Amino acid sequence: MSLTFLFRTVARDVVKVSLCQHVQSLHTGCQLLAADKALLMKLRKSTGYTFINCKKALEKFENDIAQAETWLHEQAQKEGWSKANKLEGRKAKEGLIGLFVGDKAAVMVEVNCETDFVARNEKFQQLVKDVAFATLTHHQNKAQSQAGYVKSVLAGEELSKLSVDEGASLADKVALTIGRLGENMSVKRAVTVGVPAEWHIGSYVHGGVSSQTEVAMGRYGALVVFQGGKEEERATLGRKLGQHVVGEAPLSLGNMDDLPCGESETRLLPQTFLGDPSRTVAQFLRGQQARVLDFVRFQCGESTGEE
Amino acid sequence: MAALVGLRACFSALQLSSPSLLHSSFRLCAVPLSRRTFAAEAKKTYSREKPHVNIGTIGHVDHGKTTLTAAITKDDQSDESPSTASHVEYTTANRHYAHTDCPGHADYVKNMITGTAQMDGCILVVAGTDGQMPQTREHLLLARQIGVEHVVVFINKADAVEDKEMLELVEIEIRELLTEFGYDGENTPVITGSALCALENREPDLGVSAVMKLLETVDAYIPLPKRELDKPFLLPVEGVHSIPGRGTVVTGTLERGMIKKGDDCEFLGHSRSSKSVVTGIEMFHKSLDRREDVKRGMVMCKPGSIKPHQKVKAQVYILSKEEGGRHKPFVTNFMPVMFSLTWDMTCRISLPADKEMVMPGEDISLTLTLRQPMVLEKGQRFTLRDGSRTIGTGLVTEILTFTDEDQCNWG
Repeated sequence: MSLTFLFRTVARDVVKVSLCQHVQSLHTGCQLLAADKALLMKLRKSTGYTFINCKKALEKFENDIAQAETWLHEQAQKEGWSKANKLEGRKAKEGLIGLFVGDKAAVMVEVNCETDFVARNEKFQQLVKDVAFATLTHHQNKAQSQAGYVKSVLAGEELSKLSVDEGASLADKVALTIGRLGENMSVKRAVTVGVPAEWHIGSYVHGGVSSQTEVAMGRYGALVVFQGGKEEERATLGRKLGQHVVGEAPLSLGNMDDLPCGESETRLLPQTFLGDPSRTVAQFLRGQQARVLDFVRFQCGESTGEE
Repeated sequence: MAALVGLRACFSALQLSSPSLLHSSFRLCAVPLSRRTFAAEAKKTYSREKPHVNIGTIGHVDHGKTTLTAAITKDDQSDESPSTASHVEYTTANRHYAHTDCPGHADYVKNMITGTAQMDGCILVVAGTDGQMPQTREHLLLARQIGVEHVVVFINKADAVEDKEMLELVEIEIRELLTEFGYDGENTPVITGSALCALENREPDLGVSAVMKLLETVDAYIPLPKRELDKPFLLPVEGVHSIPGRGTVVTGTLERGMIKKGDDCEFLGHSRSSKSVVTGIEMFHKSLDRREDVKRGMVMCKPGSIKPHQKVKAQVYILSKEEGGRHKPFVTNFMPVMFSLTWDMTCRISLPADKEMVMPGEDISLTLTLRQPMVLEKGQRFTLRDGSRTIGTGLVTEILTFTDEDQCNWG
């Protein structure tokens, strides 16, 4: 520990001296004396904050990289907020749907940003993951007392107040990410479902770009709550149903005995089943001895009724 | 330990005393007198004869792509610059450029597939104030994906950076990143300037001259796309006519290359092939012995220059409902009709293993198996139709071998 410290100190000072001498002898208008170049590069690489801020931090703490880093993190939160306020009005229609299915509970969230480039960035995906887990924790805290089927939809405002790991609010997290990526972002909506023991949750996410494996992410997502089905085929069944919901975008459930009314059918059960066009969803479910009780579909960037 | 700390303090003092402030204000003085001549020349020699090159800008939303585009078109003195937000044209002394700026990854891929705005090269815009953003990686990934070989970097907003060395650091960093993504980071031209200054006619060193320098660099660094004339000729057959006393005449528009009377030629497609000789050309007309050998959809080409294929890999964009496409997704084994050149043929779609369906408005790489071999080459564009509806458009990326198994699937 102390050895590495010694080494670092010496190396740093040697660099500094050589830089100073170089600059003095040439008399170029170099202003970077207070924060030396190698350190600046290092700090920028390790933290990813802007050069200007890294330089300020190094100047402030006389090249103490640890202190500079701490200060940068604090600063990032502040700047995130001011950036977030500045970008507030800008349209954020891109983004990702994040979906996580746990034990008898599932969460699906939508987080928006301005371009799909950012949606592909891992920092944004980390944010989506944080939002998903924060919402799930919130759900679990609330739902402990209730045993039956619980479905709760959260919109932007409520979501912002949720807390992530150690007390920071989701809004803080979002602001931080805005500061880092420089695009407007918002947590648009989230839905959580909790089901009783004999019910099951099927899910499907479409258009995935994520390298994240814990929380599935993509441009479309669906949760399907169903009963029955054969034990070993349940995962596939849930997935197929979810896929159908994403693909055919039903608006309501309908009844098992409803007659299909053509191409424009918006009720799930009478729709032609995506995985087998010769049958309707209801017929398919009968074959599987299963019953769909509810479903939710999110499409990234779609306008919701509230707006 | 204590000694070392002491030593350190001593160095810090040395730093503070150095005379840096005296030398910081020289930059503003130099004003190049000839800053307008380039543009004036451009006007004088403007003509459509100049080689055409497609370029584009990529970069973070706030780093000034639009400002840069505005600055470039401002310097171009020709009156023919329409300035819609995403697509503008301009000329330099040597070339004519079409310039694309798209908001997102998906838009660029769509443009590449449909061919509306391919890019022969691109300008990566990075603000000197922020340096590259985390998503710059995604920008370069895109450039790789759509086959952009040449990138020129423009470090923008240099007027807002007081410290020259910071710009150098930004440059070092972006070069590293370029190398990481397989570009020639060391030799990639990096121009520093300020598009805003150029637009507002301030600080010409960073403004107008930097933009001029950028254009000159683009001229020099981004190579001209290969001309189609040098390739062996290819004529998709549009119509076949029997003319008494002359034999068979085929009509069509020459896709590429040149045809002369007496040239050998070959007809390919619809599982047939035959060789012949060009006996006469009348605005691209041609005679043949037996009419049955030729039908619409075949191509006439230089013998041996191309081959029909039955299985290809392609990058396809599926039209959204708003664009007139399907409103429903499709799954593997979907069978649309493929249209390309003058032919059409039923084909079967196989999705990659990790994809189960394709939604309208998406782009995807998939495998297409044709019912009969037709002329298909890497880089050829096609349209997919389902009934009377155009559902997508695509670009062949790879020719695959047709196996017996594929044959069975058609049975």
